[in-house]
Amino acid sequence: MREVALVGAGQTKFGDFPQKGIKELFAEAYAEMLSSVDKGLDPRVIDAAYVGTLGSGGFQLGQVAPLLTGHVGLTGIPSVRVENACASGGFAVFQAVLAVASGVHDVVLAAGVEKMRDLSGEKSRYWLGVSGDTEYERLAGMTFAGIYAMIAARYMEEYSVDRKYLSMVAVKNHANGVRNPKAQMRKAVALEKAMGAPDVAYPLNLYDCSPTSDGAAAVLVVAAERAHEFTDRPVYVLGFGAGSDYLAVHDRETITSFKASVEAAGRAYEMAGLGPEDVDLAEVHDCFTIAELIAYEDLGFAPRGGAPRLLEEGVTELGGQKPVNASGGLKAKGHPLGATGVSQVAEVFLQLRGQAGDRQVRDPKVGLTHNVGGSGGTATVFLLGRD
Amino acid sequence: MGAHISVPMYQRTVPQRYRLVANACTQCGAISFPPKATCPQCSVGREFTPVELKGTGVVYTYTVIAGGGAPPEFTAQARSRGRYPVVMVALDEGPKVVGQLVDCDPEDIRIGMRVRAVMRRIYVEEEVIRYGFKFRPA
Repeated sequence: MREVALVGAGQTKFGDFPQKGIKELFAEAYAEMLSSVDKGLDPRVIDAAYVGTLGSGGFQLGQVAPLLTGHVGLTGIPSVRVENACASGGFAVFQAVLAVASGVHDVVLAAGVEKMRDLSGEKSRYWLGVSGDTEYERLAGMTFAGIYAMIAARYMEEYSVDRKYLSMVAVKNHANGVRNPKAQMRKAVALEKAMGAPDVAYPLNLYDCSPTSDGAAAVLVVAAERAHEFTDRPVYVLGFGAGSDYLAVHDRETITSFKASVEAAGRAYEMAGLGPEDVDLAEVHDCFTIAELIAYEDLGFAPRGGAPRLLEEGVTELGGQKPVNASGGLKAKGHPLGATGVSQVAEVFLQLRGQAGDRQVRDPKVGLTHNVGGSGGTATVFLLGRD
Repeated sequence: MGAHISVPMYQRTVPQRYRLVANACTQCGAISFPPKATCPQCSVGREFTPVELKGTGVVYTYTVIAGGGAPPEFTAQARSRGRYPVVMVALDEGPKVVGQLVDCDPEDIRIGMRVRAVMRRIYVEEEVIRYGFKFRPA
C-alpha cells in the first residue's frame, strides 16, 4: 500500500446562503483548495474525484458529482458521488485515500457539499428522517433528534449522568465557533441558557442540536512520494478506517456506543501504530451533544462512562490537553451533511500546518477526524500527521 | 427508501405491524424482530420459523418528541395532542422495538417500567389508515 498525503484544503463558510446553490458552493470550496496548494496546482493533474452529498431536498438526484466537477472544468476523469448520510464526506475522503493508496491514482479530489437551507421546516423534517431505518423508526413517529435523545436518555441512566454535561459540550463548541470565521454560529452561550433551552426531543433541547447548513469543502489527496511537488508542508494520512452497523438503533446490542466508530477507530489506530494518547487534537461528529460524549469513549479518549469527567476537567477545551472540535464542531461550525467529513479533514490540515488562526491548537503533531452517518450506521476515522 | 412509506411497503410488513411476527432461527433458536435475511445472533442461520411475540417488555430508553419537531406525517397528531413519547422496548423474548407510548403522562415514564403492545391507528397517508403497534403501561 502506498503512503498518502494531503496537500490542499478549502471550504466555504457554513451557514445560510440564499444566493448560492450546490454548484456555487462547490466551486467556492474548490477554488480555496486550489489556492491553498503552496506550489500551485494545474487542475489537469487531477486523476479522479469523489463527492460526498446526501442530496437533501432532492435538488439533484443523479450524477451530481460530474455535474459539480464539470462546473469547475474537470471533465474526462472518473467522478463519483459517495453517499453515507452525514458521513458522505468522510467516505468521499476514504474513497480518495483508497484510490491513491492502491496505486491506481496519484492526485484525487475529495469534496462534499450540501444545500439544506432552501427547504421549508416541514420539508427539512421530512428529509432529515431518511437516513435511519425509516420502515420502523419513522412509523413510530421518531425524528433524528429523537433517536439521539433515546441514546442520551439511556446513557444518562446507565452512567448516572446529569444533563449538564450535554450542555457543556454546546458551551465549549460555541466558544470555539466564535473564533472560526467559517463557522455558522459565532455566538458564545452560557451554561444556564444552554440548559434552559426548549426541548426538541427530551432530554435533548435546542442547544443540543447542530443547525441545518449550506456549505462545501474540498481536499486534495496525493501519493506521499509526490507530495513535495505541491508543498513543502504536506499532511500525511497516518491511518484510516471505516465501519458500519445496523441502521436501526433498536437492532443493536448497545446504544451507548457506536460499533461503526469503534471499528473505524480501531483500524485507523492499528494502521498508524498509534493510540488515543497520541492524539493532540480531534474533530469529532457532534451532530447532537450526546454524540460528542459517546465519541470520546468510542475513540478511546475516555473509558466507558468517563466522558463527563473529560468535560469537567476541561481536557477537550481549546486550551486543554486534547482539544476536541476546535473548529466549533458540527454544533457551531455547522453541519452541511455531505461537506462535514471533508471539512473536518480540512480543519486538521490547517491545525497541523499552524494555519488555524485564533483557534490554533498549540503545536499539534497528530490530529484525528471522526465522521458518523445517521445514528451510527456508518463511520470513518482518519489519523493525520506532519513531518 | 424514502421517509414516505407507500401502501405496498406498508402492506408487506402487516404481519409485523399487526401481530409482531418475528423470526426464530432454525440453527440457533434466537428470535429476531424485525425479521432479517440472516440471523443476527449466529450470523449463519438463513431459515426461520415465524413466531408471534407477546408484546410485553420493559422500557429500555425513551424520548418525548416536541410537538413542533414531529415528522410531517405526524403533525396532525402533534397539533391535536402536543408532545408525544416514543419508547424503545426490550421485549421479553429478546428483540428491541420502538413505538409510541400511550395512556401515560410523559413525566411518569421510567426506564425499566413494564409495558405491553396495543393495536393503534398510526396515521393516515394516501387516504389509507395505517394501523400498527404502540405501547401502554402494563
